[in-house]
Amino acid sequence: MDDVTKPVVDWLLERNPTVDEIPEDLDLIENRLIDSLGFMEFVLLLEDLIGRELQLDQIDVDQFRTLRSLTHHFLKG
Amino acid sequence: MCPPNTPPARAATATADDTEFRTLLDRLSDKATADYYNPFTTFDWPATIPTDELWMSPELLSLHGTELMDELSTAQLQALSRWESVNFYSLNVHGIRELLIEVTRRVHTPGFELPSEFFHHFIGEENDHMWFFATFCLKYAGKIYPDKSVKLPEAPRDPDIENFLVFARILVFEQIVDHYNVQLAADRRLHPTVRHINRLHHQDESRHIAFGCRLVHLLWERLLDRGLDEAARHELRGYLGRYLTTSIESLYNPAAYRDAGLPDGFALRRRLLAHPARQAAHAKVLHKTTGFLNRIGVFDDHR
Repeated sequence: MDDVTKPVVDWLLERNPTVDEIPEDLDLIENRLIDSLGFMEFVLLLEDLIGRELQLDQIDVDQFRTLRSLTHHFLKG
Repeated sequence: MCPPNTPPARAATATADDTEFRTLLDRLSDKATADYYNPFTTFDWPATIPTDELWMSPELLSLHGTELMDELSTAQLQALSRWESVNFYSLNVHGIRELLIEVTRRVHTPGFELPSEFFHHFIGEENDHMWFFATFCLKYAGKIYPDKSVKLPEAPRDPDIENFLVFARILVFEQIVDHYNVQLAADRRLHPTVRHINRLHHQDESRHIAFGCRLVHLLWERLLDRGLDEAARHELRGYLGRYLTTSIESLYNPAAYRDAGLPDGFALRRRLLAHPARQAAHAKVLHKTTGFLNRIGVFDDHR
């Protein structure tokens, strides 16, 4: 597992105890690993990891759909 | 609060000629008219509110009851009380936006003929509340903390279930806020403007909560009357339980901790949320809401 995604994967597994592993391209929203109620905490986690606040009025939800996309848009560099 | 001896809602819809509901609506509308005030002329907005005072009661702060509270200097306590109060009013602004959208979407639509007259009082008053909370934040803190909630694409629910959840969410939000309003309005350590906005908000919300309890009960009875199955009840119960938790968690804002000079806001939030003293505090904030949802049968006591 990539070091940069580990905190995100840990967070997702903690909230989805029936899930064993999360493939990089699994749609986290469609498979309900994240839903609207859990999204606020998820955003706060991401903000903590990247060290800046996200402007939620400008986000594209698709950027949050998979671990690959999260890594590309937020977690790498 | 919701009256403990509310008569059982009849297996009637909100559109039926429900005499008891109509009587309540008439009484609340009359009271709203009698209590009406112009928010734009009611408040004395001083140029500043001193930053070396408390803006929120220490007992309502998210560190209260933990060992971390005792480690705060007086200046840190004042800063935390200032930024947590701004967070509280910011949450009000965003919560009111959502409820205005949902109630406006339903006023004078089929199924809401009976409460629509009261909806006009409700919408007008909520608009006033949003204005004075936003004014407070912008005038004295220079900002409103941004809304961190996002509505993700999800399968649409059955309209009756959606109606029930909309008004249940509104009621939960109002009851949580009211817990804070009552204490803030009564706290003589706080600035008169702080006490004034909380007092007026509580005055209006008392009517909204009485209305919300009755409407939520009616909408729940409507669902039961339609034959809500155990799986759907379980799903609703789980959703509302998580909604209560998420609502409480929004009071723990890493940005407010940062503004108050407390480091590692996200880690602090997680540490506090897991703290037994805070969990006891949450139960206290939520006791009217959970009591009501238990009483009408949405929750069961073993949840």
